[in-house]
Amino acid sequence: MKLSCLQENLSRGLSIVGRAVAGRSTLPITQNVLLETDRSMLKLSATNLEIAITTWIGSMIEEEGAFTVPARLLTEFVNSLPSDRIDLEMEEGGGVLRFVCGRAEARIHGADANDFPPIPQVEEGVAARIGAQDFKLAISRVAFAAATEESRPVLTGVEAKLSGDRFTLAAADGFRLAVQHGALAEPVESDIGVIVPARTLNELSRLLGDQNDTVDIMMVPARSQVMFKIGGVEVVSQLVQGAFPNYDQLIPQKYDSRSVFDLQKLLRATRSAAIFARDGSNIIRLQMTPGEEEAPGKAVISARSEEVGENQGEVDTEAIEGGESKIAFNSRYLQEVLAVLERGQVALETTTSSSPGVFKPIGSDDYVHVVMPMFVQW
Amino acid sequence: MRHIIHADLDAFYAAVEQLDAPELRGQPVLVGGSPRSRGVVATASYEARVFGVHSAMPMSTAVRHCPQGIVVRPRFDRYREMSRRVMDIFHDLTDLVEPLSLDEAYLDISAVVASGQLPLGVAIDLKRRVKEETGLALSVGAGTAKSVVKIASDLQKPDGLVVVAPGQEREFLAPLPVGKLWGIGPKTAERLRRDGITTIGDLAGQPGDWFARRFGKRAESVRARALGQDDDPVQTERSPKSISAETTFPNDISAPEELRGKLAGLAANVARHLERKELQGRTITVKLRLSDYTTLNRQTTLTYATAAESVILETAWRLLAAELSPGLAFRLLGVGMSTFGEAPERGQQLALPLAEG
Repeated sequence: MKLSCLQENLSRGLSIVGRAVAGRSTLPITQNVLLETDRSMLKLSATNLEIAITTWIGSMIEEEGAFTVPARLLTEFVNSLPSDRIDLEMEEGGGVLRFVCGRAEARIHGADANDFPPIPQVEEGVAARIGAQDFKLAISRVAFAAATEESRPVLTGVEAKLSGDRFTLAAADGFRLAVQHGALAEPVESDIGVIVPARTLNELSRLLGDQNDTVDIMMVPARSQVMFKIGGVEVVSQLVQGAFPNYDQLIPQKYDSRSVFDLQKLLRATRSAAIFARDGSNIIRLQMTPGEEEAPGKAVISARSEEVGENQGEVDTEAIEGGESKIAFNSRYLQEVLAVLERGQVALETTTSSSPGVFKPIGSDDYVHVVMPMFVQW
Repeated sequence: MRHIIHADLDAFYAAVEQLDAPELRGQPVLVGGSPRSRGVVATASYEARVFGVHSAMPMSTAVRHCPQGIVVRPRFDRYREMSRRVMDIFHDLTDLVEPLSLDEAYLDISAVVASGQLPLGVAIDLKRRVKEETGLALSVGAGTAKSVVKIASDLQKPDGLVVVAPGQEREFLAPLPVGKLWGIGPKTAERLRRDGITTIGDLAGQPGDWFARRFGKRAESVRARALGQDDDPVQTERSPKSISAETTFPNDISAPEELRGKLAGLAANVARHLERKELQGRTITVKLRLSDYTTLNRQTTLTYATAAESVILETAWRLLAAELSPGLAFRLLGVGMSTFGEAPERGQQLALPLAEG
């Protein structure tokens, strides 16, 4: 193998595939990155066996070939080089890849490409196409609600359902549920539902950056694989096996009280309360009181810790429908849903203090977030 | 804030005997089994208690302590009758009466207090009415929490009256021995004593994380009681074992949509009852009676407790749908919920009832 490429291209490529490099692993070669000539490009691949990322960078190929070197070492070395041309060449006798960039030179010991786990080729599945930013928004609003502990593996995934020209992402961790609907860029030929690891989607979201392009998706449930193509990057992931819980019945269709908040105001009061909640039982209490006649009403957001003290903030609501209501949430769950909705207004719908609270952004029917309350003494 | 009274009849069985037999008045009366047949003391009159006799003591021991004691066989029908008369007086005052046994009850008098009466006045009136109408002496504790009033009624027995003013709960409890607190048994009390915690005040002064370590899931409730701040409501009835609803149709039904519609009504009914009783169940049952009067019961148990109408409906429908076949007509449908979970602890994160997909 012998080729030349630009330092900045190699650096960028390595940072893209780097997220799939295994940490400590029982299979040491998964800590390597696979370098492979592919027509007139240099192909970079890494995998931790759950997820594989591949990208291509432009290069001048003189001699074809493939080799793997430790990803972290190579990345750090390349990042230390000036923005210049890098020449790569296998040393005679093999086993060592030589890098030359200006007057810097390195010899890196590696492993045979044939020993690298094969990157699955995902073909002949159900194809779909989603706008990159639509997908990124949906991931940001849903993936955080997935479970992080593995006691129920399906809950560590995000269920993706595609039907006609719509998609739905849903995640739940046993205490909360997030569901986002959106439009596909092109309709799917057949309806399909798969469970994608939340980790995969979080990596994908990072790769999507501020791209305005579309993401091509290929799902092969029979082989439990999914591939995402974004620009010149391919992400292949294992799917989570199993049946996702039927969550429709968990989304309350009625409420006794509905309060509309300015998100920034509510988020600010919640963050103040969270400082006090974190030393106690992580409980934040919300008490909504409708206003007299035309007045919009107010909410008191409070938290207390026996040791530290207590905090109480009052927020004007934009509107309160129905009567007074009281509900207490885990501080993290409350902050997380408010943070992903970012700006604008949000409605909180409640029935009783021990029934789920429902958050919906105002002006969009595409998102619903259900959070179970904490049972507290009022 | 709640206003609660704990009302406790003094030496109830013995007092009834003394009431019915004037010659027993002023005498040490021991109500219970025979001293020769391993009977125990059910109740000792205050005259007998002076000699160290107490209830549950073997009668043979009791008569050794108190040889002049008059042993009387219990007449439970008579006690039940007197108890009913006293409970009727309680019910005149408030609907919220939680009987604990024949001779004691919690009364929620919040509404009476809200109408302008002071708890002290309510307690005095109650004692007087019971005395006048039944001849029995009642000890009363009044305050804002069950844990407080239960201790208060015991403090000046017999014929006692202790009112703990709102805000004074903690001070009131502080000097009392820790074993008086509801939920602190003799063993726990002994362990606490070894750690230097002898009074309720010592206990209440411990930091929150100490309670968590010491009492685990009970921490918040024990602590609330030690502070006199528990908010257990007066429970007017015992929790049922199951809640169900059923309906017989004027004409047999076989259309699945129609059956589902009926099921939805029943599920809503059950959910409403569960919510009213603050119960959550895990076992969902459907009862099906076919046109030929064959009756089927099908049930499933969820991994979590719920009172959600939609979960009850969907689960019941799954059970019903499995039995459907063309031509089968139903004359009755029922939906039930049982295996009730414990009420959640304070500070507990409630779970989303995620069924298996």
